[in-house]
Amino acid sequence: MTGTLILQSALAGITNGFVYALIGLGLAVVFRGTRIINAMQGEFALIGGMVAYVLLNRFGLPLSLAFLCGALAGGALGWLIELTLVRPTRKRGASEEGYLLLTLGIAFAISAGVLYFFGRDARILPGIGGEGSQILFDAAIRTHAIWLIVISGAVMLALRFFYTGTLIGLSMMAASIDEDGAATTGINVPRMRSLTFLLGGSVGGLAGVLVSPLITIQYEMGLLLTLKGFAAAILGGLTNPFGAVIGGLTLGIVESLAVLTVSSGYKDVIAMTILIVIMIVLPDGILGRRLRRGG
Amino acid sequence: MPVIARVHEANARLPLLKWAGALLVVALWAVLPALASRSVTDMLVFTALYSIAGLGVSFLLGQCGIVSLAQSVFYGVGAYSTAYCCVQLGWPSAAGLLVGIGISAVVAVAVGWPILRLSGYFLALATLALAIIGHVLFLEWDWLTGGTLGIGGIPPLSFMDYQLNSPQRFYYLVWPIAAALLWFHANLLRSRNGLAMRAMRDAPAAAAVLGVNIRILKVRMFVLSAVLGSLAGSLFAHYVSFVSVDSFGVDRAINFLLLAVLGGAKTIVGTVLGALFITIVPNALSRFGDIHAVLFAACLIAAVIFLPDGFGGAIARLTARMRAGDSRS
Amino acid sequence: MPALLEVRRISRSFRGLQVLRGVSFSVEGGAIVGLIGPNGAGKSTLFNIVSGFLPPDDGDIIYAGADISRRSVPDRSYAGLVRTFQTPQVFRHLSVRENLMAGCYKQTRSGVLANLLGTPGSREESRRMRRSADAACEEFGLTAVRDRLAGELPAGQQRLVELARAAVGEPRLLCLDEPSSGLNTEEVVQLMNALQRLNAQGITILLVSHDMDLVTIAPVIHVLCFGEIIASGPLRAVQSDTRVREAYLGV
Repeated sequence: MTGTLILQSALAGITNGFVYALIGLGLAVVFRGTRIINAMQGEFALIGGMVAYVLLNRFGLPLSLAFLCGALAGGALGWLIELTLVRPTRKRGASEEGYLLLTLGIAFAISAGVLYFFGRDARILPGIGGEGSQILFDAAIRTHAIWLIVISGAVMLALRFFYTGTLIGLSMMAASIDEDGAATTGINVPRMRSLTFLLGGSVGGLAGVLVSPLITIQYEMGLLLTLKGFAAAILGGLTNPFGAVIGGLTLGIVESLAVLTVSSGYKDVIAMTILIVIMIVLPDGILGRRLRRGG
Repeated sequence: MPVIARVHEANARLPLLKWAGALLVVALWAVLPALASRSVTDMLVFTALYSIAGLGVSFLLGQCGIVSLAQSVFYGVGAYSTAYCCVQLGWPSAAGLLVGIGISAVVAVAVGWPILRLSGYFLALATLALAIIGHVLFLEWDWLTGGTLGIGGIPPLSFMDYQLNSPQRFYYLVWPIAAALLWFHANLLRSRNGLAMRAMRDAPAAAAVLGVNIRILKVRMFVLSAVLGSLAGSLFAHYVSFVSVDSFGVDRAINFLLLAVLGGAKTIVGTVLGALFITIVPNALSRFGDIHAVLFAACLIAAVIFLPDGFGGAIARLTARMRAGDSRS
Repeated sequence: MPALLEVRRISRSFRGLQVLRGVSFSVEGGAIVGLIGPNGAGKSTLFNIVSGFLPPDDGDIIYAGADISRRSVPDRSYAGLVRTFQTPQVFRHLSVRENLMAGCYKQTRSGVLANLLGTPGSREESRRMRRSADAACEEFGLTAVRDRLAGELPAGQQRLVELARAAVGEPRLLCLDEPSSGLNTEEVVQLMNALQRLNAQGITILLVSHDMDLVTIAPVIHVLCFGEIIASGPLRAVQSDTRVREAYLGV
């Protein structure tokens, strides 16, 4: 096994890691805003990628516009789901399990819907910078992958600023921590919840359009992405975006390196085992703060 | 709701009607294969099989408060154990069944012990991760499972020389087994461990104070659930005589969970209703093509929103209200 | 009578805040002992340590002559140490009778397999549990609501269910955490009578409470303030102690 091969794998792992971190970030956004664990986060990515694909190939939109629309489609879907499905569930007083079952059901509905409308074939999108690659110490990394990392990083910083520095961001957090208190200070709590899903869906959709040139998009990808993103999110304590990055990178790199030693079919087994181990050993994230329930 | 208690009361009040009703149901059940088509009987066989596996998920959800998406793994273990032992090793069917149960129990203890410390959505997602791991292993370990090609030629169950190789014959085996298991479960609910289990769901700290070892009880219940899944899987293998990895994936796990949620995890009759639903509805919807999966998921969503106690719960509420109406008149 | 429970130099801190500083006191077998103190004194923490929900940083808990500081909650329960909770932790979806039957868990032995098969032994046990539960219902005046879901009862009755459930398991030491919270005066009197009845049957009672009326049933009171016992003795003596007055009125 050459150093180049290892480096190549590590680079792939880092790229994947940022995708997982983005998904994890979306999960964290939804959790911070509504205390709901969103099992359909990966489906936002799927829809984002699919919408971008359709806009690009059937409507001939330019790449960056298609990407943007894909991300926004994720947001729109999130907002719609909150309005039509999450609110009635809340009104009937659902338990934690109830929300999980709801989001799981929606995840499967979306996945099945994509299967119905687009079939089983995988689709692929062109990346930013086309097929070009950069060479790093003899290992190649696609230009698009570098863009992915940069954009992901920018999104994370933006979100951090959003939550700590803007009124809306603070209001969203306040609305989830103390509903009644927030309402008395004039915060429109239901709208904050809708915004939360809008934001979470957009981040998910963005993850989808960013990842689709590198791996193919097909109807089954959502659930695995969600679980891997969840692993990243837990390491960040479900609230710290930098923790999610570290979690995502860990998962991505270990996954890629492990594939060098065992058959690639075991990739998901390794990822899922890492998830379980993280949940048991580090449920509060690497920073050890008790900010979540369940576990 | 203490359905057991309410059923006891109903018993006390209307014994004749209840017995007549039960006899009617049994009579209908007995003659159905003679009257109905082969495909309907086949559907009802699957209803029984899914009732057995679904009971495992259902009682974990309703009585222990655990969302388990791992049942597909144990279903697969049972099916593949039977397939491998009977086809590759030539062992008798009982051996395959017992091997399946044994492996499932061991796996349930091995994974249950660490992950059952978790609760809420962490636990649910951990079981989902297990379902994925199981599915991939079934695929990768093709020397054991035949991978995508599967294992065929599983002999049907036979007693003496009487082979259960048709839906009608299998129907008369599988339903009594399902009924027996449901009866065992009813026994459990009334007993000390059943009460401990339900107590643990409602107030774990208070249960611990009464002497219940929460962790050990959870693992025991998980093992029980796994055994039910494995048993159903072994019977399934003997019935369809060909198993492949497609039957043991995450959508199977979702099906079992849907059965529990839709049927009503807190009642026993709910499990059977849920099983009926997930066998009949896909059949009825299959004429619409691939969209049936979407409709199916839509049912899960609707059930979570509108019927959190499932059909069984709705029925229990209805009968309670009817009896309340009776006592007032 | 020898001490049933000895709390020896128990210390505990949370995130740098010292909540308990070397607390020591004992509870005589057959006695009713009260533990009072202002908010934030550390009563809940001490209670959680005694009942096994929290480990101490330092010190020991000696129960019936044995060191139980590291024993689990179910273990302590089997030894006869049972506690109740500040908010009544009844089993909401079980009937009152089923709640009390659950209280008999310790006294029954049948395993899961026997339960599943419905063996004669298992059935006999269930019948015995039912009889004990019904008898306890009588004793605590719960027969009228025996078949109702515990979660549907008003707070006062839920308290009684919790107490009856603890009592039916024949505990030696009953630890009660704010048992009168949420009860009206009539219900508090009912509770006091029930506790005195249990004590007369030989059950030792350790009581944490804010309620000065309830606490009158305890001949011995310990006052906990800022993690230390600052006074002990009969209620009258303790109430006139200057340190106690300062603690309650604030320095």
